[in-house]
Amino acid sequence: MIKKITTLTLATAAIFALTGCGDKTAPKEVTTYKYTTVQVYEKTCIKCHGANGEGNPEKKTPALNDRTPAEMAEDLYDVKNGGTGYGGSGTDHEIMEHNMQKLIDKGYDYDINSMAEFLSYLAKNNKKNK
Amino acid sequence: MENRNLKKDLEQLDSILKEQGISRRDAMKMMGLSSAAFMMGSGTEAEAATEVRASSAKGKVLIIGGGLSGMSTAARLRNSASDVEITVIEPNGLSTQYQPGQTLVGGGLWPKSEVIYHRDDFIPNNVTVIEEKAVEFDPDNNTVTTDKGTKVSYDYMIVAAGLVLNYGAIKGLEAAGEAYSAGDNKKLVDVLNSVGACSIYTADGAEATWESMQKFIADAKSGKKVNGLFTHPNTPIKCGGAPKKIMYLTNARLNEAGARANANLHFYPNGGAMFGIKDYHTAIVEQFKARDFKWSYKHNLIAVDGENKIATFNHHWKEKGEWDEDLEEYGVVLKSEEVKVPYDFLHITPPMKAPTEIANSKIGSSKGWVPVKKETLQHAKYKNVFALGDIAAIPMGKTGGSARKQYKVVVDNVLSMMETGSIPATNKEYAGYTVCPLITNIGTVMLAEFNWASKKTGSGANAALLPIDPTQERYIWWLLKIYLLKPMTQYGMLSGRA
Repeated sequence: MIKKITTLTLATAAIFALTGCGDKTAPKEVTTYKYTTVQVYEKTCIKCHGANGEGNPEKKTPALNDRTPAEMAEDLYDVKNGGTGYGGSGTDHEIMEHNMQKLIDKGYDYDINSMAEFLSYLAKNNKKNK
Repeated sequence: MENRNLKKDLEQLDSILKEQGISRRDAMKMMGLSSAAFMMGSGTEAEAATEVRASSAKGKVLIIGGGLSGMSTAARLRNSASDVEITVIEPNGLSTQYQPGQTLVGGGLWPKSEVIYHRDDFIPNNVTVIEEKAVEFDPDNNTVTTDKGTKVSYDYMIVAAGLVLNYGAIKGLEAAGEAYSAGDNKKLVDVLNSVGACSIYTADGAEATWESMQKFIADAKSGKKVNGLFTHPNTPIKCGGAPKKIMYLTNARLNEAGARANANLHFYPNGGAMFGIKDYHTAIVEQFKARDFKWSYKHNLIAVDGENKIATFNHHWKEKGEWDEDLEEYGVVLKSEEVKVPYDFLHITPPMKAPTEIANSKIGSSKGWVPVKKETLQHAKYKNVFALGDIAAIPMGKTGGSARKQYKVVVDNVLSMMETGSIPATNKEYAGYTVCPLITNIGTVMLAEFNWASKKTGSGANAALLPIDPTQERYIWWLLKIYLLKPMTQYGMLSGRA
């Protein structure tokens, strides 16, 4: 009897999973940020990464205008979350992970996709100026 | 004891159903029919529920890689659009191997034969498979060339070429070189055996892990004090839970043999936490403490000395640096040292990377993974290229569970592109769903489900299948892992339906 119930329970669980009953679309993170993406960039990032995201060799900071928005979003995710994996691989950006956490603590949090798009805009703008 | 656990789980399930005004019996009736139909592999209900679209799209779709992601995508495309010409390039005849079962093979619970499946048994009708390897990519001219010189053109390309296990990057394992999970890996196993190490990341390796584990347990049982090490590298990996699952199974087998007291079990991850989702991290730390496991964060395995049975780790940490005027805070400096640890049993999770020929091509990236917009899985630069599965640059992906959500998004978006030239905002987006059935004992699993929105404490439940605490180890999830996930994957997903 137990065995039968088990099978049915599992079938129930599996069906939830398969039919989408349990497949809740993750709610988009609705976060209200203290500053706009542009404000965050102009108050903080700009100091080390430059007006056009070109980077600064003296400060050993990389350019941010050499990537597509999709690639930038991946890197920003890594820096904000201490890695892109979930199991314990860690991050390639340990210093910036520290700095980013400090900035977030000070209220300079932002939406990753929005920032990635903004950096892409800076990159295009930069090319036009040249 | 198992029955008691089941009773507890069922009681909890009952109380949840009761809240929704359904008795368990009614729930069984409601679900019973569809599940039976699904398990028979024919169910109309299951098919109806997965919303396969009917598309009149025409054109040539080329899929690179015929593993779980590639073949499921081919099947769903075929189910959805009968006029689309579909070609899959896949050199490995065992590409559809059931990789999630390798942990169970490593723990001696399944024979290797349970995970071996042949690619040719999963080719959908009217899909062409080229048994060669795609080695040159020219996305500006929409062509791909194989190792045998076959040139294939496409209108849309879907990259699902998987990842490469880079054992050779560890000093002392150079002879192991690179490997894929599927296929013949006898040479790799020989190299690992020669240094007294093992690794469940290939089917052959999983089988050898069980042999290695039995020797380890026999030593412990004979009264010898033994040291078992479990590593987790500094790269993204497929199945981020597996490095721990094999540790839990080693513990279970030692307990079974009454030899646990003589064994030290120590986990060495490169990162600074057990899990990227806080709730699961906390749960795992408690599970580790309860089992007397030891762990050392920020240790990356860099060398193995087989002769002396010593593993060398790069231990790295941050120290307070100088005042940073820009940050208006103290900065950090990175420090590191080499740490040498003797071992009797060494389970290696190797560094992993995108296949070189793709990483270095125009569709690759500096990190190797194929860059895509993570919500649509469309390539960052080429609008007619998509990627999914292990090769895609997506946070938290690289599990069969993520692929199960991704392939439907890819098919939907590719068809929209073929029909209208764009992806409408109404198409369902990928939200980062991943599932890790973390085996914590023989008989219990913590079904860790999560997505990109699960980062905050208390939000881990947002992606859970059932509204019950997902941080609990449960017998019902063990049964799910052991009996149901394989048929769901091999017959539901590879047919493009579930």
